[in-house]
Amino acid sequence: MTSGVRTDRATAVTANALGGGEVVFLASSSPSAWTARFEDAAIFDSDVAAEAALSAAAASDFKVVDAYLIALDNSAGVWTPLSLRERIRALGPTTEPQLGPQARGGRVVEALQAADSAARSSGRIRLIRRR
Amino acid sequence: MYAYDGLDRSLVRDRVDEFRDQVARRLAGSLSEEQFKPLRLMNGLYLQLHGYMLRVAIPYGVLSSAKLRALAHVARRWDRGYGHFTTRQNLQFHWVKLSETPDILAYLAEHDLHAIQTSGNCIRNTTTDPFAGAARDEADDPRVWCEVIRQWSTLHPEFSYLPRKFKIAVTASAKDRAAIKAHDIGLRLGRDAEGRLVFEVLVGGGLGRTPHIGALVKKDLPADRLLSFLTAILRVYNREGRRDNLYKARIKILVSELGLAAFAEKVEQEWAALDPTEIDILGTELARIRGQFALAKLDPRPAVSRGFEAARTREDFARFARNNIAPHKVQGYGIVTISLKGIGDTPGDCTADQMEAIADLAESYSQSEIRVTHAQNLVLPNVALDDALALFEGLRAIGLASANINLASDIIACPGLDYCALANARAIPIAQAIARRFEDPIFEEAVGELQVKISGCINACGHHHLGHIGILGVDKKGEEYYQLTLGGSGAEDAAIGAVLGPAVAAGDVADAVEALARRYLEVRQPEERFLDTVRRLGPTPFKAAVYEHADTV
Repeated sequence: MTSGVRTDRATAVTANALGGGEVVFLASSSPSAWTARFEDAAIFDSDVAAEAALSAAAASDFKVVDAYLIALDNSAGVWTPLSLRERIRALGPTTEPQLGPQARGGRVVEALQAADSAARSSGRIRLIRRR
Repeated sequence: MYAYDGLDRSLVRDRVDEFRDQVARRLAGSLSEEQFKPLRLMNGLYLQLHGYMLRVAIPYGVLSSAKLRALAHVARRWDRGYGHFTTRQNLQFHWVKLSETPDILAYLAEHDLHAIQTSGNCIRNTTTDPFAGAARDEADDPRVWCEVIRQWSTLHPEFSYLPRKFKIAVTASAKDRAAIKAHDIGLRLGRDAEGRLVFEVLVGGGLGRTPHIGALVKKDLPADRLLSFLTAILRVYNREGRRDNLYKARIKILVSELGLAAFAEKVEQEWAALDPTEIDILGTELARIRGQFALAKLDPRPAVSRGFEAARTREDFARFARNNIAPHKVQGYGIVTISLKGIGDTPGDCTADQMEAIADLAESYSQSEIRVTHAQNLVLPNVALDDALALFEGLRAIGLASANINLASDIIACPGLDYCALANARAIPIAQAIARRFEDPIFEEAVGELQVKISGCINACGHHHLGHIGILGVDKKGEEYYQLTLGGSGAEDAAIGAVLGPAVAAGDVADAVEALARRYLEVRQPEERFLDTVRRLGPTPFKAAVYEHADTV
């Protein structure tokens, strides 16, 4: 990262899968892959890099709906979405812990559940609106 | 109960086939999301935070045991084992897949259910009194008129692309259990001096960011002229309602901008120009529909049920009888409301197992009929008092015997930020935290009628404006805060609640509601409900109770 850029902030790319509707993230495993596991999401150190990856992913066979960038926070030592809205998307409903990705548990899920950073409004970066 | 005829069935099946083709084209990539979105919305399919949500229509909230079992099957096979009853008396499934939705709709169609007009800028599901057909105080069975409206409004070619969505509610009682004054059109059916059925027509009610109470636009409308008068209102709205601004597109804004008198004049002119013979319902057709709602024969019962009276010596059943059983028009029967608001429950949620058990209980004790209420509860409308204890035990076995109807824990809450893409804040955990404060039934009953309504955003799906205590989730610099309103009502004394003061933090909402209830107990006069005390004293004593300790913004 260049100097002056906060090292506790980064960006991920999220969407919903077209056919199943589940929350997905651009994956770190390969350039155009999507994953339902937030812990396997690609972490980009700039919005520009994230946008480029999103453009490249358009060619993927796996179709998604309403893709957008989300801000991540690393103040607790684990990358988590900055906004509560995006943490709920990554986990599942807070009132139904047995449902959604949170059901499988693990270190990242616990970190997401414990995170208390907020900022819904700043959590989505240049949301691609499709009306 | 209305039974589909061949026309209804073919219409619903054609729609399923059409949507199956549209979904296939979307999945294959030949339709873009931009092209597809309005098509899926016309079939009740939304995309929310965790995936697709399918809103199934329950016309005027009336279900049979067979239909409820069909919904249970959908919940179990295609969703996560539960559904969510809404304030529009519909049912939402929050975890469906787009690729499976055509199969779900085909299955629903086999059981005379669909998702048509549960979204989009059209006439939505008409809602009514959940006690319809059983209420002692009704002038007529409002379900008959709701079905007339359903048939007229379904796929109505002229009213499929209105400026905005359009909601109609009907009651036939002086006691308003359908929140008619909060609807685009509210209809109250009564009888004139000669005993003829007539409608009072209210227009321009609605919630959202600019709440309005509906105003009387027509008195003594002969009931058989209903459809032409509705057509006249919809035509004026369709022609003159704003399409340039989403937030000013509802009919309430048109009525408010024109003024009620000018709006009414336009409607009268339009009505006078219509040919009633083309639109108004024929007497023969009305009689056919009415015949389908004839109250099935209820065996005559003594005015006093010995079994019921004996059971009332049990405190738990006595409490249930006091709060959840209303008088029936037929002697020896009661109308039983099933609370979907147990402590720790998500308001309006019902599991597949519970749906099936309720279907069985309705079959045994309520002529296989179930109603959905706009308060997100269920009603068994025709229960013999002799059977009430057995029903209570059956409900207790499935965790649905909470005796809290219209009490503080009987909270309306939208799905909020736990599910909804529009929400700013969560509603369900707030409802659960408040309900726990009223877990002691003696305290809760001492407080008495107290309607708490929670919305996770300004769209007001949780009817917060109409709450005796209303709670609106707001995003304050990224944190969940909650604005409190006092003095709202969705009943015949409808009113929009007034903001009490600064929004309070999520962790302080339950404290605030409990403080409001305790202050009421201190200052009330005999026979006063919470709402009455608020109206008599104004906000000052309540404001002091809340803001002594709360963390506010």
